[in-house]
Amino acid sequence: MSSHREAPAISQDPVADNADTYAFVSPDDPSTVTIITNYVPLEGPPGGPNFFEFGDDVLYSIYIDNDGDALPDIEYQFRFRTTLQNPDTFLYNTGPIGSLSDPNWNKRQLYSVSVIRANGKATALGTDLACPPCNIGPRSTPNYDGLAAAAVHHLPSGETVFAGQRNDGFFVDLGAIFDLGDIREIQNLHLIPTPAGTSVDPLKSLNIHAIAIKVPISRLTRNGSVPSDPMSAASVLGIWGGASRRKVQVRDGYSTQESGPWVQVSRLGNPLFNEVIVPVGHKDRWNALDPVDDAGFEKYVNQPELAKLLPVLYPGAFPNLAAYSANRADLHAILLTGIPSGIVPGFQNFSGPKPADMLRLNVAIPPSASPNALGVVGGDLAGYPNGRRVFDDVVSIELKAVAGATIPLVDPSYTVDGAVGAVSSYLTPAADRYQSTFPYLGTPHDGYDTPSS
Amino acid sequence: MERLSRRSFVKIAGAATGAAALAAAPPIARAAVEDSPRPTDPTTGVPEEPLVAYVRDADRGEVTVTAGTAERTYRDRALVQRLLRAAGRKEA
Repeated sequence: MSSHREAPAISQDPVADNADTYAFVSPDDPSTVTIITNYVPLEGPPGGPNFFEFGDDVLYSIYIDNDGDALPDIEYQFRFRTTLQNPDTFLYNTGPIGSLSDPNWNKRQLYSVSVIRANGKATALGTDLACPPCNIGPRSTPNYDGLAAAAVHHLPSGETVFAGQRNDGFFVDLGAIFDLGDIREIQNLHLIPTPAGTSVDPLKSLNIHAIAIKVPISRLTRNGSVPSDPMSAASVLGIWGGASRRKVQVRDGYSTQESGPWVQVSRLGNPLFNEVIVPVGHKDRWNALDPVDDAGFEKYVNQPELAKLLPVLYPGAFPNLAAYSANRADLHAILLTGIPSGIVPGFQNFSGPKPADMLRLNVAIPPSASPNALGVVGGDLAGYPNGRRVFDDVVSIELKAVAGATIPLVDPSYTVDGAVGAVSSYLTPAADRYQSTFPYLGTPHDGYDTPSS
Repeated sequence: MERLSRRSFVKIAGAATGAAALAAAPPIARAAVEDSPRPTDPTTGVPEEPLVAYVRDADRGEVTVTAGTAERTYRDRALVQRLLRAAGRKEA
């Protein structure tokens, strides 16, 4: 999946597992950029009585590089604190939760937001901000959308934030893709063939915990401008998320104490980078490093394992890909430097030659009036890999790219295999997976109505 | 504007919480020639979080000490030997 349980160590630490990062010009407020980092992957909605939450002992960060050196110029930090109204009940709530201050709501999370800019000083933007409860069911959370709306906080500094449970917007046929790269619609062509079938989305009934922030563009660009020229270097932002834990944790009886500096345990820029590009023996190290350290992973982008597997798994379907031995300059540009000008008419998101896994968002590209989930590949310059919107079909985009669809952008002599057209997620998420306003991910499934995922 | 990495962000943030207790600890470059432990400042308050020391490399006499969000690694062969004895380990 995008980055759900993508590495051995973080797969055992879900509250710190950055599962998806999104960054896009807010469609309903185009003077702003919305950034979302998701955690706690694969939440089953009925998971009580201790419903899912953020980690009180985790530092959640969103990083922005606005001058292309792969170092953060801006960092937003989020810290959480859990409170119990009544420690003498086993219940998450002792009655219907009608508001964020309802005494029936027993176990709550509050959070703080701060920003660190290039002067190195942390500035608190908000404290004791309420998360919404998890969506439990019609008796406990009868007006969930009202609770979620009340948990959208407009900060005096101009940012808008939300942190809490949402519908997971990512979609993929997880069960098939990790069964030796199967795509049900073309599995009759697989090395181990079975009759063609129909893709299934197991995430359509699962939730996620989202940290979302909407920031005026002028607060993010290198010169405080709101760029209107897509060809301007100042219009490109590098964005990624990360989670860190303290270096030392001491368990003493039932209490836990911590000490030492924060150590990064998860990060995510481009979807599927660590999941599909980085070999399993290096994934934990990648999570601990920063984008500025990514030069050591260039070789996995230049010669991706998946591009070698496809012709083996689908014999005879990818002859041109199988014969292509050059470094994948197309993937290098998409994932590590951004796409330079002159490749896609009217577009660039090149941040400089420093190879680094970051989402690269050109903020001068306005939101699309008719979005295409295939993003730039589908002719929609406002979608992935120009940042990433919540509904972008990143599985199809990246599968097609790895299968050779984007090689002609940098090597016109290459002929794309006909089978690339059949490489797809084959999934169209339901409309209620998303919403048109902040935080853009839809209402989470409640446990009563979604008892089994 | 000064450029900062993520780690330096963290370093600055940590300075406000627990670095004071370690301010006098010699960094490893200096400590290479200083084998005796430095005295503890008795006026330093007890930190809310535990101060943790662990033997990073017994052969080299290296100890890492964490307090608050600060961390220092230095050489103190005498301390390492005492810790090894306390742990019932063979001395380096």
